[in-house]
Amino acid sequence: MIGALVIVPILAGLALYALPRSAENAAKWIGVVVSFAAFVVAALSRDAPDESLVWLQRPFTASFHVGFSATGYASAGYWIVLLLTLATGCGLMVARLPQMLVLLGAMTGVFVARDLLLFALFWDFMLIPVFLVLIAWSPTKSSGTAWKYFVYNLCGGLALLLATAAYGIFAGTTDAIGKVAGPLSPSLPAAAETWIFAGFALAFLIKTPVWPLHTWMPDTYADLPPPMVAVVSAVQSKAGLYGFIAIGLSLFPHAMAAVAKPMLVLGAISLLYGAFAALVQDDAKRIVAYSSLSHLGLVLLGIFSFNPYALGGAIVYIVAHGLFNAGLFITLGEIEVREDTRSLSRLGGLAARNPKLGGALTIVALAALGLPGLCGFAGEILIMTGLYQAGHHKLTVVALIPIVLAAAYMLRAFQGMMQGPEVEDVPQRPDMTPLEIFAIAPLVVAIVLLGIDPGPVAFPARAAQTVGIGPAQPPPFVVSDK
Amino acid sequence: MTTALHYSPLLPTLWLLPLFGAIALWAFGPQLRRNAGYVGSAVVLVSFACALALFGEATLPGNPVRVPLVSWGPGFDLGLSLDPLSLLWTLVITGVGGLIHIYSIGYMWSDRAIARFFAYLNFFVFAMLTLVLSDNLVGLLVGWGLVGLASYFLIGFWFYKPTAVAAARKAFVINVFGDIGIMFALFALFAQTHSIAFNDIFAKVATFSSGFVLLACIGLFIGCAAKSAQVPLHTWLPDAMEGPTPVSALIHAATMVTAGVYLIARFAPLWSTSPAAQELVGIVGALTMAVGAILAMGQWDIKRILAYSTMSQIGYMIMGVGVGAYQAGVLHFFTHAFFKAQLFLGAGLIIHALHDEQDVRKMGGLYQRMPFAFWAMLLGTLAIIGFPLFSGYYSKDAVIYGVLEHGHPVLYGMAVGAACITAYYMFRMIFIVFFGPYRGDVPDALLAIAPAATAAEPQEHVAHAPDWLMQAPVAVLMVPTVIAGYVSIGGANSPWYRYFGNLFGGADTAPVAAPLIPEFGSTALVLVLVALGIVAAYVRYGAPAAQAAAIDRLRRETLVMPARLRYLLWFDDAIALAIVRPSQALGGGISRFIDPHVIDAGVRDVAWVAGALGLAFRALQSGLVRAYALTIVIGAACFIAYFAYIGVPR
Repeated sequence: MIGALVIVPILAGLALYALPRSAENAAKWIGVVVSFAAFVVAALSRDAPDESLVWLQRPFTASFHVGFSATGYASAGYWIVLLLTLATGCGLMVARLPQMLVLLGAMTGVFVARDLLLFALFWDFMLIPVFLVLIAWSPTKSSGTAWKYFVYNLCGGLALLLATAAYGIFAGTTDAIGKVAGPLSPSLPAAAETWIFAGFALAFLIKTPVWPLHTWMPDTYADLPPPMVAVVSAVQSKAGLYGFIAIGLSLFPHAMAAVAKPMLVLGAISLLYGAFAALVQDDAKRIVAYSSLSHLGLVLLGIFSFNPYALGGAIVYIVAHGLFNAGLFITLGEIEVREDTRSLSRLGGLAARNPKLGGALTIVALAALGLPGLCGFAGEILIMTGLYQAGHHKLTVVALIPIVLAAAYMLRAFQGMMQGPEVEDVPQRPDMTPLEIFAIAPLVVAIVLLGIDPGPVAFPARAAQTVGIGPAQPPPFVVSDK
Repeated sequence: MTTALHYSPLLPTLWLLPLFGAIALWAFGPQLRRNAGYVGSAVVLVSFACALALFGEATLPGNPVRVPLVSWGPGFDLGLSLDPLSLLWTLVITGVGGLIHIYSIGYMWSDRAIARFFAYLNFFVFAMLTLVLSDNLVGLLVGWGLVGLASYFLIGFWFYKPTAVAAARKAFVINVFGDIGIMFALFALFAQTHSIAFNDIFAKVATFSSGFVLLACIGLFIGCAAKSAQVPLHTWLPDAMEGPTPVSALIHAATMVTAGVYLIARFAPLWSTSPAAQELVGIVGALTMAVGAILAMGQWDIKRILAYSTMSQIGYMIMGVGVGAYQAGVLHFFTHAFFKAQLFLGAGLIIHALHDEQDVRKMGGLYQRMPFAFWAMLLGTLAIIGFPLFSGYYSKDAVIYGVLEHGHPVLYGMAVGAACITAYYMFRMIFIVFFGPYRGDVPDALLAIAPAATAAEPQEHVAHAPDWLMQAPVAVLMVPTVIAGYVSIGGANSPWYRYFGNLFGGADTAPVAAPLIPEFGSTALVLVLVALGIVAAYVRYGAPAAQAAAIDRLRRETLVMPARLRYLLWFDDAIALAIVRPSQALGGGISRFIDPHVIDAGVRDVAWVAGALGLAFRALQSGLVRAYALTIVIGAACFIAYFAYIGVPR
């Protein structure tokens, strides 16, 4: 079943390419059905057994190994796949792109892969549909953004592939994700661990992205069409953070600890840099893009403070950010479709005419600015609780500042588009259709539910114990009494 | 700590009812139209009834009603708790809130978005209940944030007005700044106690170092200062008057802005252990009290006069609970909720009758036209200035003397002075609004009113609600406005002090110093100063001669006022200069310079080097087989040399 989660969307996407242009509507519904079916399957596969097929024996063993039943940190993949299928389904409601399905399959592959080589292959594979869309749909009719995206991410992908190969040669197998909580191979020399990790880390940092490797991201987000940017920002950007959690923490603990300080600094810089940049953008999508830089910097802080609360919060925030960013980009797309612009200086007063769209944007924007009670807040509070507990007191204060900035830029964006006097020189188009409402509704429900109780996502082992399913497992870290 | 779980289904009911009301009104607003007002009011009044029904259970000493809700993780257990302190707030929120709901039916009668208005009001009540009922810091923060959101929605209710939109955003952002203060305190306290529950935190207070307590208290107080409009985070409150008047009464006078008082009273066990924190809070509260009173003297907008007076009165409360006179500070919250709601609702009657005129210079002589509003405003005014036998007299006197008893003579002096100013600006308002000639038809130029300054958006007044719908809640409020203070007659043995028992730590909060002057003397001093304030207002605005020359006097005062008004804008300008503009400049610098011209330029340089290397290596691809063979040999030699000298990794 889990293998099908990866393969079926890819095949369906490729098949859609073959459909004639007249069958656009059918293609859209095929896409929606496939992605929501994937959501249901993912939701039911929490305890499904792994599927494994060895396909490489030398120079090291590699297998097509996919699954959710990983121990330790890799179990975060389950929540992200759940989010991914949900976000894609929602995105597909408002567009009809076979590339989306290919992307869905490839990204699912990244998060369910239990083999490093498989992980690396899917990692690179998921660039292709985005690149093709950027080339074909670029509003500026230039391929500059597409190449910027491709070259940046390919550099990371190359480093990842080399590091994976090196890991395979040293360890004898790449089938390592989620197997162990601790250094896999005692035979791995310290220097080798450092260099292999460096390859992984470069790929992760570019993908997230983290300052100063971020400049591909605002351009890419601005140019991608709405449903794809929703999925790319919601999920593809999480691949790097997921990598740090699922691969970094269990396979390279020493190297992770060694780079903790620089990583915390990079995270803090991203956090502030993105928030300040988001304050002054005129393009609503660029506001969200820079806010992503800021928010994901916070997750990096959570991961590298090596604290159970911070780590649980990081996973919550990864999922939360996916939910509200997908929602933001979907609603921004709907605004752009209606008004032919997303420039704050040209929009205004939309809520009077489009109250439903206004309501949808309100909720996702509030989640993004960390309104207590919604999912963004739950992640923030857990991350920073752990950050402070881990002794990073000054860093906690630094991490609090962007919350105020987020309130300022998110409200500026929301009010610039939705409130104030109505702008006359934009097309007068009707409010959301039922289909569009149905597209955003699952995200909104998930935003609220995760905000009320992030427990199962943050502390999955604990949740499993209380409801009596799944293997009992010790918390990843012991709460220090410092 | 507590033995068996003291559960009652009434508690979640009264908490969730307003939420369901909000959702229902939001979903079925178009169908309900004007009936939304009745539904919204009924929901809140049922909540009030539930709270009353729980009165006996909640006031059992040391055994609050508790409802566990959800557990996020170890130490993160969220739940509700109803003890005397939260019960008091619950009763005021749902009781006064219910009256204001009923009043709003009339006030918003002709507004097309009346259902949305009541959805927001109900949502506010839910959020405020979350704030006061939570038994932990995260739940409190959720309520804290959600009341800010409700306030944002309601300030910006008429969102086609740019001023309302800007005011709403300002209020929200400043309040988020307060939120991060509380968040910081949460992190600090959690690191020490591994729990977010108030009980667990208070149980370990004895183990905290004094520096740590001060740090946590400062964090909490940043939240209080933002929410309760304490200097210098008060600048959003006057702007918040852009919202409909019932909103000003409910959120920006009676309940939400007193959340800071609640928080300090709730954290009394923590605060009482830090004299430094108490000193700080007392000073900030006193400054707010003074600044609010001074600024209230110079306002022309009736709602802004009341807004600054609210700020000043909250200053009293914060100062009271800050220095340790918890019962007195909370009592002032209790009485203030009634008389300030009454003042705002009375002002609303006037604004409504004059078709959204809020400028007191354009009023005058309304005593004959609107006797009911006059009596409502007069009773409220007598209460707020602390006129004997009115509710404010008991609470304000308790705060003022409590400050002296807890050993703060300077703050005491400021409190007495502010009481005098309060009497002056309140009676200034009464005289200008209700006496002298009616000036509604006097041209603006004669009063020197700048044309744009008072441009009110014309509202549709197609139909009017029956008068009693708005007057009845005001009439009901008159009763507690007069008598609410009587609960504290009898000092430490009064029902008020017995109600709280030792919730605030009993002996810890006892006075520390023998006061300089006896209570009787202090009361007399305050009364003399209050009388002085009234007389000053009378001489300037109320005496027959002053009334006759009112237009001339108001014009002259308007002309000199801008200089004084600018004083209130200093805070805004300082925040803009120190925080807002540098942030925007930094953001602009990043997105216009650093990203494209520094980071991208660096990447382009790397790309250029790569391109140059490519050119260099292109020379190798000559197509000559012998050259390729040579490179293979060289490469193989390097490879062998590497493993020969460095060695194969195991």
